[in-house]
Amino acid sequence: MGQGRLTASAIISFSKELEEDTRRFYEEMAEAYPQGREAFLAFAKEAQKGWALISRTYQETVSDAMETGFSFEGLDLTYYQAEKDMRAKGYVEALKKALKLEEAAVRFYSDAAERASSFLATMPKAFRKVAEMREARRKRIQALLDNLGIRRD
Amino acid sequence: MKLLEEPIREVLTLRNYIDGEWRDSQGKLLEVVNPATCKVIAKVPLSTEEELKAAVEAANEAFPDWRRTPPLARARCLFRLKELMEARFEELSRIQTMEHGKTIDESRGETRRGIENVEVATGIPSLMMGYNLEDVASGIDEYVIRQPLGVFGIIAPFNFPFMVPLWFAPYAVATGNCVVIKPSPHCPISQVKLAELVEEAGFPRGVWNVVHGDGTIASYMLDHPGIKGICFVGSTPVGKEIYRRCGERGKRVIAQCGAKNFLLVMPDADLERTIASCLTSFFGNTGQRCLSGANLVVVGEGQADSEYKAFYRKFVDAFVDSASKIRVGYGLDESVQMGPLQNKGRKERVLGFIEKGLEEGATLRLDGRNVRLVGDWPHTCFLNPTVFEDVEPDMVIGKEEIFGPVAGIMKARSLEEALEMIHGNPYGNAAAIFTSRGKWAREFQYRVQCGNVGINIGIPAPMAFFPFSGMKESFFGTLHGQGQEAIRFFTESKVVIQRWF
Repeated sequence: MGQGRLTASAIISFSKELEEDTRRFYEEMAEAYPQGREAFLAFAKEAQKGWALISRTYQETVSDAMETGFSFEGLDLTYYQAEKDMRAKGYVEALKKALKLEEAAVRFYSDAAERASSFLATMPKAFRKVAEMREARRKRIQALLDNLGIRRD
Repeated sequence: MKLLEEPIREVLTLRNYIDGEWRDSQGKLLEVVNPATCKVIAKVPLSTEEELKAAVEAANEAFPDWRRTPPLARARCLFRLKELMEARFEELSRIQTMEHGKTIDESRGETRRGIENVEVATGIPSLMMGYNLEDVASGIDEYVIRQPLGVFGIIAPFNFPFMVPLWFAPYAVATGNCVVIKPSPHCPISQVKLAELVEEAGFPRGVWNVVHGDGTIASYMLDHPGIKGICFVGSTPVGKEIYRRCGERGKRVIAQCGAKNFLLVMPDADLERTIASCLTSFFGNTGQRCLSGANLVVVGEGQADSEYKAFYRKFVDAFVDSASKIRVGYGLDESVQMGPLQNKGRKERVLGFIEKGLEEGATLRLDGRNVRLVGDWPHTCFLNPTVFEDVEPDMVIGKEEIFGPVAGIMKARSLEEALEMIHGNPYGNAAAIFTSRGKWAREFQYRVQCGNVGINIGIPAPMAFFPFSGMKESFFGTLHGQGQEAIRFFTESKVVIQRWF
């Protein structure tokens, strides 16, 4: 799924993949790095909540009369994709990967919110809400890196 | 792009749902074909007159108990139905794509709109209330009670196989009536799946019945004395006939019919958003809906000739370019923006109109006969978007309903001229204006003789709590489907005047 005339359905599926990948990634991190276990499990849970919000809002507001087929024209989903290989060699690298994942997600949900403005109002609101959740998570990960005295690459 | 999973994996043999039971029909079986893949997905019976009579009889037998069931209890059946519909939302939507061909977003939109009608009907304890006035004369009070009538027939179209019966049935049963639904024989599966949920929701037997068939069964419904009224959505000639025959037999009618909808683009319209809205309007549901755009009128109100020429060219070129990029294919592919026509015959009918447009001298800017698909599907039912320029209101393609992905572009130098074009057409279902100026929008809304009006909205589809309107040759009847008007349609107003000596 790359650049092109994306449908709302394709965007929702992408969101599902993104949140599922995120949940899986943080669960694996929680398993691998006990020092961040609590935070990572909380992030994984949030990913489930994020998907629940997006899917419920879409199901409750989708309308064939609005521009669901044409609103996301030009979005390039490759720009928002997480790294294919999310395995990390250590805690610091895992945090750096998490940071990139959250940054990509914030970009995706912010752009999707803007494009969804022709839908019923709740859809852009849901995208914005998840973007905010992701941004808050990005800041927490950044703080974990800062505490370790690690700079970004 | 991989396909979403198909919920129908083997050929279904459909049965009638009569008196709370699934009954085999004695009628001949027709094949139901997925128009994208051309695979048979079900067999549907053309039921017999006896089977219809059994359904009407069951409904009439169920009526006395059902009407005495407290409205709150009836509403609770609808609440349970809504919950089941939500739980099966995705399956219901994918079935629509498989039997009709529409894209998955469109199908989900249809499912949502169907559910919204159930939601509105759950408010029946409030919606069905009458009204009263004390002391209309000395010591005399007067009040209105709304009472159900009995059994209603619902004759459904192919283009919204799930949603359209839900413009009527939830209100009919909420008010204490019973229904017999005849789905389209081309797209009957959605109503079977819905009836399965009705059964699961615990509606008493006989309240909700489904009898498959074609026009012959519909005709029996019109004549059956046990049916008090008919709700129909379909073509104008059939709607007129239904209206006439029901009139002769004293039945109530809602007949929502054909359309030729005009979309006006004013010089100050937001180009990008107008085009997205027009694409949805003209090519959404592959142009097979009564709210689809048909004629796109570029209006040069207040512009000098040179300005108008430039505006017209800029808009039309952008529209044609966007239409040419629409991705056509199987609706279960999420990258697809337009599906096939519902069957081969419908495609041939549209091809006939394209030929006619060429004969009449319209300019074919985008030829959808050059089929280009996403995915390797048989071309049998597919067309790509087609755009004609230089269409005149008196051309066949300018005045008759095509019911396919064909846009006719017209020119008007003023809003007045554009309104004359609309009013010269016999239909009055929908019309829309795209503008940033309130004055033009207000003028349009005030004067246009159409039932559903869009202001910067390409598909002015009324939400469930508003009536689905329609005027002129697009509607026959008095009250419309959905919302409060449906409540009035399905009830008698009994007026009581009382005094106590």
